[in-house]
Amino acid sequence: METNLQAILKKLQYTDDAKVVEQITEQSRVVQTRMAGIRHKLVVMSGKGGVGKSMTTVNLALALARSGNRVGLLDVDLNGPCVPQMLGMRGRGLSYEKEGAVPPRGPLGVKVASMDFLLNANAPVRWKGPMDLSPVWLGLTEMNVIREFLADMVWGELDFLLADLPPGAAADKPPLLAGLIPDLAGAIVVTTPSEVAYDVVQKSIAYARELGIEVFGVVENMSQYRCPSCGAEHPLFEGDTQAMCDALALPLLGRIPFDHTFAKTFDKGNPLLDESYPTVQRFQEIGQKIQTLLNYKKVMAEKL
Amino acid sequence: MKFVCLNCETYMSFEKVEKPAEGSLGVFFACPSCNAKFSMVTNPGETQMVSSLGVQLGGRTAPAEPLEMTRSGLKEEVEAGKSQMAAYLNEKIHGGQPAKGSGAETPGASGQQEASTSEGCPFSAMVAQMGLTGSGSGADVPTETATALTWTPDAKERLEKLPSFVQPMVRSSVEMFARKQGYTTVTLQVMDDSKNASSGLAWSPEAEQRLENIPDFIRPMARREIERLAKERGATTVTADVMEEAKDKFMKFM
Repeated sequence: METNLQAILKKLQYTDDAKVVEQITEQSRVVQTRMAGIRHKLVVMSGKGGVGKSMTTVNLALALARSGNRVGLLDVDLNGPCVPQMLGMRGRGLSYEKEGAVPPRGPLGVKVASMDFLLNANAPVRWKGPMDLSPVWLGLTEMNVIREFLADMVWGELDFLLADLPPGAAADKPPLLAGLIPDLAGAIVVTTPSEVAYDVVQKSIAYARELGIEVFGVVENMSQYRCPSCGAEHPLFEGDTQAMCDALALPLLGRIPFDHTFAKTFDKGNPLLDESYPTVQRFQEIGQKIQTLLNYKKVMAEKL
Repeated sequence: MKFVCLNCETYMSFEKVEKPAEGSLGVFFACPSCNAKFSMVTNPGETQMVSSLGVQLGGRTAPAEPLEMTRSGLKEEVEAGKSQMAAYLNEKIHGGQPAKGSGAETPGASGQQEASTSEGCPFSAMVAQMGLTGSGSGADVPTETATALTWTPDAKERLEKLPSFVQPMVRSSVEMFARKQGYTTVTLQVMDDSKNASSGLAWSPEAEQRLENIPDFIRPMARREIERLAKERGATTVTADVMEEAKDKFMKFM
């Protein structure tokens, strides 16, 4: 006797006995609730690795904090978390309360959450499970780890939360991760002034836009080399980020030089915070632009 | 995953797979001893997981084609992305009007000619689909054009300053605009005018001037907002009145 499954299903009332759908719905609700006290959520992304995304995120967070904002920084790069190292917070950890995990405060009062706080020094991320079948479950696990970071972190009231996304332009990571964050204000994209970087970066911009993520603008990192002795700046690459931005109708928010002195302080976990320092000022200007962009409607009302 | 008939204490055998609904699989099992049957029905997520494994439940009847899962999965991605990205590009380049044309050359990021489903440039498939022409190299004047267009040296220079991956797209967009306007020469002014026309809305000089009051890094966002407002009003031109309306609208955010 042939079984007509379609006909049978039409007669049945679906019940979520295993409560899987209920739990997934609840997970999303928890993320929403947890992040309700955060005014502006931004992601910092780039299709390309090695463009200085984490450095940019960290310094934008510091710039926003310097302007008197309450800032949180979420280091979502599970496999290469470097924000705690840059901020001299290595070895710190999350404290656990009934409400959830409390992120420690770093320089200028920036709250930081990072996978690094859950790992032993120099230990890679290792998951329990059959590694020979890891392609089956690893991606899903990592996405849900990130969801937990969003849902279980007690951020409290913040003016800004910046999420440092891992590199990549494809469907698996950055734009979809951004989709996990409710009421995301938008994305800042980091590039270096090279056509190899542009090629990949514009893909991530395209994909982010497809997903309805507002791309606020582009930060060009390593735009020039700043001599540590005399402070003179010389070009490192030969790209034209302004042209890319014009083609994509995006503002170039700022240009950050490759500053050896500056970079070294973050490498050593002793971040340079002096706001009179030129590179810090550049980040400060970008931070100011971001704040203005978030209030663009006010600006339009005043200036139009 | 295996299913056990608890009565007969034996594994249940896989019988067949059906698709009872979109995104759902019905996987049938039967007990070889007592012939008890059941069907496991997957939800879209579970169905996708099976699909992502690149396996077929019950085994394959024929060997997999080379890169079968990748090609079939990517095609869907391109199709899905294309509809949204094409709409975005369509709006920017054609002002919302569908493009005509067939089998145009597809500009790639490397500047070389590629198949219309090339992955080299995310715009390439959509650009080809929309019938935009493009040359193999950003610096070359295309030969397959309905009307021959010449580019002034300064217009050509501005085009060549753009990153190579956007040159074909911008060239096509500008040339299409120029042909529509009946121009035979592409100048810097034509390039500026085509940029304004890409949204399908014209801007009056007064409106453009008012937009200059907005800080440059906010201008792209402001332009989009104003054009959105204008389209909601059914306007075809952004005038000073539209600007005034936009200003009033945003006054409530003061």
